[in-house]
Amino acid sequence: MRLVLERFLHNAGALLAVTTILFFMFRLMPGTPLAAYINDNLNADQQRLMLEMFGLDKPMWMQYFIYLGNLVHGELGLSFFQRRPVLDILLEVLPNSLILTLTGLVVAYIFGVLAGAWLAWKRGSWVEGVAVPIVLASRAAPEFWIGMVLLALLSFNLGWFPSGGANSPGMFYTSEWQRLVSLDYLQHLALPVLTLALYLQGLPLLLMRSNMLEVMHEEFVVMARMKGFSQWRIVIRHAARNALLPVVTAFALGIGISMGGNVVVETVFSWPGIGRMLVTAVANLDYPLAQGAFLMIALVLITMNFVADLLYGVLDPRVRHGRAG
Amino acid sequence: MILEVRDLEVHYRGKAAPTRAVDGASFAVPAGQIVGLVGESGCGKTTAARAIMGVLPGNARCVGGEIRFKGRTLDNAAMHDLRWRQIAYVPQSAMSSLDPVYTVGAQLAEVLTKRGTLGRAAAQARAADLFELVGLGPRRLADYPHQFSGGMRQRAAIAMALALEPSLILADEPVTALDVIVQRQVLDTLRALQQRLNLSVVLVTHDISVVAYLCDAVVVMYAGQVVESGPARDVLAHPRHPYTMGLRNAFPDLTSRATDLVPIDGSPPDLADPPAGCRFAPRCPFALAACTTGTVAVGADAPGHVSACRRDGEADALRRAALEPATWQRSSISATS
Amino acid sequence: MAERAEASLLARVRPGRGARVAAVLRRLAAMPARDPFAFAGLTIYAAFVLVALFADLLASNPPLEIVFTKAGRLAANLPPSAEFPLGTTNLGRDIYAQLVFGTRSALAVGLSAAIVVASVGTIVGLVAGYFGGWFDTVLMRIADMALSLPFLPFVVVLTGFLGASTWNIVLAVALLLWPNSARVIRSQVLTVRERAYIEAARVTGARPWRILFIHVAPNILPLSFVYGAIAIGWAIITEAGISFLGFGDSTSVSWGYMLQDAFSSQALSRGQYHWFGPPGICIMLIVVAGFFISRGYEEVFIPKLRD
Ligand SMILES: Nc1ncnc2c1ncn2[C@@H]1O[C@H](COP(=O)(O)OP(=O)(O)OP(=O)(O)O)[C@@H](O)[C@H]1O
Ligand code: SF4
Ligand SMILES: [Mg+2]
Repeated sequence: MRLVLERFLHNAGALLAVTTILFFMFRLMPGTPLAAYINDNLNADQQRLMLEMFGLDKPMWMQYFIYLGNLVHGELGLSFFQRRPVLDILLEVLPNSLILTLTGLVVAYIFGVLAGAWLAWKRGSWVEGVAVPIVLASRAAPEFWIGMVLLALLSFNLGWFPSGGANSPGMFYTSEWQRLVSLDYLQHLALPVLTLALYLQGLPLLLMRSNMLEVMHEEFVVMARMKGFSQWRIVIRHAARNALLPVVTAFALGIGISMGGNVVVETVFSWPGIGRMLVTAVANLDYPLAQGAFLMIALVLITMNFVADLLYGVLDPRVRHGRAG
Repeated sequence: MILEVRDLEVHYRGKAAPTRAVDGASFAVPAGQIVGLVGESGCGKTTAARAIMGVLPGNARCVGGEIRFKGRTLDNAAMHDLRWRQIAYVPQSAMSSLDPVYTVGAQLAEVLTKRGTLGRAAAQARAADLFELVGLGPRRLADYPHQFSGGMRQRAAIAMALALEPSLILADEPVTALDVIVQRQVLDTLRALQQRLNLSVVLVTHDISVVAYLCDAVVVMYAGQVVESGPARDVLAHPRHPYTMGLRNAFPDLTSRATDLVPIDGSPPDLADPPAGCRFAPRCPFALAACTTGTVAVGADAPGHVSACRRDGEADALRRAALEPATWQRSSISATS
Repeated sequence: MAERAEASLLARVRPGRGARVAAVLRRLAAMPARDPFAFAGLTIYAAFVLVALFADLLASNPPLEIVFTKAGRLAANLPPSAEFPLGTTNLGRDIYAQLVFGTRSALAVGLSAAIVVASVGTIVGLVAGYFGGWFDTVLMRIADMALSLPFLPFVVVLTGFLGASTWNIVLAVALLLWPNSARVIRSQVLTVRERAYIEAARVTGARPWRILFIHVAPNILPLSFVYGAIAIGWAIITEAGISFLGFGDSTSVSWGYMLQDAFSSQALSRGQYHWFGPPGICIMLIVVAGFFISRGYEEVFIPKLRD
């Protein structure tokens, strides 16, 4: 319990720090944040009125506390460009991002864990000599470039998948839920998910492999052999179960981290998610929207850091009972 | 004899030459007795015990010899059946030998249901009985290994070994990691259980006082070979091999206070390149030129109290000399050899 | 006085500098056979450095110049040929030339980021680890904070608003990557400072800064090197991503610029693999080289990591 509280405070502190950094980053940007609104047609009085309307005439520290207060109420302001509440815009695209990230990660981790355990089994064979460099290379390729190659090959060349977006034009759905489970949506989802999975599988694979190699030498695995358990039981119930601990943590962290990486993948596939929203907002100098999108991504990242801390405690009794060793 | 080991040879793969960790060792374990397997660190005791279980590290090979259990040759097929049901093992470090992510109770139940024939409920009850047997409260079944103290873990490891009512237990330094008082308690528990259940036990240790305290017979190993064996009382009272004499001087008695201990100078030889002849010769105060040729080891079928020493005939004289601390000083060794 | 005593004490508890240098050199010389990975990594680096140095000799066309065929027509969307080994872009630019000159900007971004990350990380790690106290606490809190910022979004916002320049990308990468190296180096310092010869130097009254830079720092440099190598790859990938998103420096040709150009010019639907394939492969090679080297050097310099 103390551990939970401690980790919570730690992560809450990080969140506060990130929002603070964000506030000052946006305030200290060159040019007025109202560049999009204020043009030469407005006279000086109108400009001042505009500043007052957005609260930009107050001193910086007051603006900071107003900003924090607004955040607590989920108030992220109006998008300069779309003239709609930022929160509404973000909540519209958030499901797309979460679905993309989660599906990609799940595919990557299932593959990575199985392949990693298998490679540990093949320690010292030619398979290992070939596979490890390939996996390293897959981690070294730019995420968006993997997407581009897959897009050219599987979509434009072979025509297996649609080339972008989340739904074909002209499709109508009675509810958001129906849209998300439609075959059309899944077809659009497939290629970005494949890209994400290809890019992400390297980490769980290498992690699982090295953990397995370590665990297989542990005394309790040797004892399991002495007890005469089946190979399967030893590998799955004892070795893999222990080797999996750090991988599960990496999974939770991965949700947060790859949400950030989505910025490029969503752009390649014109996937209407929060990453692409951020890119468009920054390109349009839409400060409130950019700030909101960034905060949302940071929030997911920090929440997942917290979840990872907790998960480790749940999965590893040694941590749960407050002993590290 | 419940267990017979004959000319056992186990090698570890090495860069140049293999490490001959067990090199022609022979000994036997009578039913219902505790046999101590003693020797300094690195003599191949653990390797021999693991070879009997048929569970060796990936870089080890059993390259020769025969192991018979109740008259039946132990090969992979036989062990598949006998492992833990007939022959169980108590490891040196019980902490790392228990899986950290399951409760001790779950691990006991796992053995009872997967290797034994019990159902879930019966396994629970049996696990509680076993805990009681080794002096642990059944409540502790729900604890994880890291929540146990060292002594409790060792008791849990003994309970684990007893789970399927085996007839032979191989215990590898079961008390070495514990402090002296807890050592006594765990050894007493082991002795009581051995008598109650009529178990045969091979007790691996480097501590000759543990042998004196507990064992019926003793097998002394040096550098992968058996150098002396026989009834514990005989061997300890009248050791015939200089190595055993040295060991007796080097360890404090579990029952008495530590008085002038005389260590054996030097260390066991490199098993990748052992010396010819008697392997103890480089450290033996009584070594003669003749000791360094040919092979010297206890034969497979030697009954009673036997020693592999070339000068076995002079054992009584050597024993008297060995009581003098001066005999074991470096200078005197170089003088005699 | 104190330094004399220190020197004589050190001479007894620490192997001579010459012997240590010789040992490292021996391990380096044995590397190709012992660690083919690290050797391959170094070879890749060397090849790219050569290409960057001799770019003008290797490519005859300036990367942004519009070229024409012998018949005098605009050389747009040409497939690979003897004249244009990787073909031309839709606007008639020599893709091979772009690739060759892109090596320069890649190395510039990578090396400058690596230098900043390695030096900031090393100094912070050394000082925080050796002196501890409130200074350590504050620095590590700042490191924690930097690590909870989402990487790519942060770089996007920073370069998007600060302006599209290569240096802003390097700045953003450095801001987010120094904490990783600082943390690891700090914990290494914590173990090094307990070693016998450091203890000896302290006892003989050597000044703390002197101990830090003369005795502790040399033990840390290999780690700084490893983190620098990792930063090279990260910086190049990040620059490519940012350029791809359109926030890159449009005046210099980089591999990311090429990928963005190809993407927005429908090279994908036209199946021009010779256009968008090579830049990606080059990035991959250089990042992989970093992985290989960081693995290999860890083994050469920190023998305890070998199993
Ligand atoms: N996994 C291994 N790989 C290579 N050599 C090994 C391995 N395990 C043991 N050895 C070597 O085999 C020899 C015998 O080791 P073993 O562990 O059987 O000795 P021991 O008598 O049990 O010693 P201790 O009292 O220290 O447990 C030693 O020289 C040791 O270095
Ligand atoms: S007397 Fe000779 S044979 Fe006997 S132990 Fe000494 S060296 Fe070995
Ligand atoms: Mg042992």
